[in-house]
This record gives sequence, structure tokens and C-alpha cells, in this order.
Amino acid sequence: MMELLSLSAGVVLLVLLIAFASKRWAAARDMRESALPIGEADAEPCPEVFVSRVFSRGDWEFVHSLRSEGISKLFDRERKKVALLWVRQTSVMIRKAMREHASAARQSENLQFSTEISILAQFLTLIVVCGILSVAIQMVGPLFLGGLARFAQRLSRRVAKVQESLQPAPLVKTAGRIA
Amino acid sequence: MIDPDGMMTVEAAYDDLLRRSLSRIDGDLARLIYLASTRDYNTGKYHHDGLAARFQREIAGQALELAHREIFYRIAVCSLEELVDQVEVYASSSQQGRDEVLQVWQKLEPYRVALPVDGNVAVAQLFVSNIKLALAILRRRYQQQELVASTS
Repeated sequence: MMELLSLSAGVVLLVLLIAFASKRWAAARDMRESALPIGEADAEPCPEVFVSRVFSRGDWEFVHSLRSEGISKLFDRERKKVALLWVRQTSVMIRKAMREHASAARQSENLQFSTEISILAQFLTLIVVCGILSVAIQMVGPLFLGGLARFAQRLSRRVAKVQESLQPAPLVKTAGRIA
Repeated sequence: MIDPDGMMTVEAAYDDLLRRSLSRIDGDLARLIYLASTRDYNTGKYHHDGLAARFQREIAGQALELAHREIFYRIAVCSLEELVDQVEVYASSSQQGRDEVLQVWQKLEPYRVALPVDGNVAVAQLFVSNIKLALAILRRRYQQQELVASTS
């Protein structure tokens, strides 16, 4: 009896893994098909309303009111693509910020341990949240992930602000342009 | 843009552009296409003879770029329902038939030239995705209307 249960559990796990892998493959293919290059961290930040729009129910309700399976499928596919691109862009931004911060920290003479720990915790939280979002979007789509996405957006803005405050003074940064 | 007087001039050029040109165009989507058409494909620089005559060429270019970005971001994050209305207004006001416009837009995707240079890629993807959806929704709507008309 136990053997049968273990075997069933194994089969279920295998099916789940195959489903997950095929979803990931399909999502990766969608990303490749997108003609747009991946946004670099230097790109303009997303407007505040962007996350609410991509992860909201409003457009979904409008599309489903049309009662067209083809359009609903197209909508799900397109929104998933946009949401994954945003997560990827946010991940690129965090990694770039982490690299820059580590480089600045190496040269700094008055590092504050508590501040560094707090910044590191924020970076790690964002990386984990982006990972969860990426998997969850591929599995269920962006529709039910608005809260987590807004949390990631708020945190990434906070990280960007901290990063800006640690940059050299504006005069040094823009000296080339002013001259 | 650093000099406060310079900033004022760009703002004045921008206001002039809104008042004289953009206010005469119906709908944000048509305004976006118009603004994108003032950009040189090779250099990415914006040209508008009338605006350049009233302001400097450089200032006119900056005002056009500013207006382009502003309208683009407004359209990119608007609701899908609003965008469907915008595309409908655009297609209906075109000299070609609306069906022809929709068909060509679906095939050639000319709306991609309306993306600003160095804009946020995720926002650009949202814009492209939403236009694709709006076109599919409108074509279906027109097909249903034709079906109803032919059966009645």
C-alpha cells in the first residue's frame, strides 16, 4: 500500500515538473519572440500606474465580457509576456544596483554595518520576490499577483532611492555635460 | 535644459505645439502617430518647420520629443477599453477604409515606429501588446456587425 502511494506521489510530482518545465519553455519562447530588446537598468523607470495596469482585473474583465476564447487567450499570453518582461527588467536593475553598491562600498572608508545589512536585506528580498513572481506568472499569469508586484515595485523604488543617495555628488556626475 | 530660460522656451514651444497642432488632431493615438512621423528615421531627431520658425530648431525638437513621450506613456498605460476606442477613432478617421487600416496594422505593425527612443522596454511591450489586442477586438466587432447586417 505504501509503495503504491509513493509511486503515485512520484508520478504526480513528475507530471507537475513536466507541466512546470513546459510552461517555462513556452514563456521563454514568448520572451524570445518579443522583438523588443530586454530593458537595461538605465532605461526610464516604469510609471507608477504600470504595475496596476498589467496586474489588474479591469482589462481582464473587459476582455472576458467579449466572450471570445481567441481574444481571451491572446490577452493572457500578451499580459504574461509584459509581466515577465517587467520582472526581468526589475531583476536586471537590482543586480546592477547591487554591483554598483558593492563597488562603492569597497571604496568607502566609513561603512555603517547596520545600513549595509538593511540594504543587503532589501536586495535579497527583491531578488526572492522577483523569483517568486517569475515562477508564479508563468504558472498562473499576472492576474492574482498584483499585491506582490506592487510590493516589488515599492521596494525597487526604495532601493533605487538609496542607490541614488549613495552616488557621488551631482556636480561630479554631470561635470562632463556642464563643461 | 539646464538653463532656466532654456527650459521656459521648451515649455513655450510645447504649449505652442499643443495649441496649434495637436489640439486639431482627433484622439491621442492619432496625435502619437503624427508626433512619431515628425521624427527622422535615421537620426531619431524631430523636425517641425512651423515650430522651428517660431522657436529654435533645437528647442522645437525637444518640445516634439517631450510631447511624443508624454502622449506615448498616456496611451501605453490607459485601459484596454479606452485604447479600443482610440484605435476605432483613428481607423474611422482615416482616408482608407477602417477594415483596410486594421488589416494593414495587424500585418505590418506600423505602430512600432511610434515608440520613443530609449523609452522603458516593459512599457513599450505593454503598448505593442495592447494595440495588438485592440486590433483583434475591433476586427471581431466589425465582423459581428457585418454578420448581423447580412442576416437582417
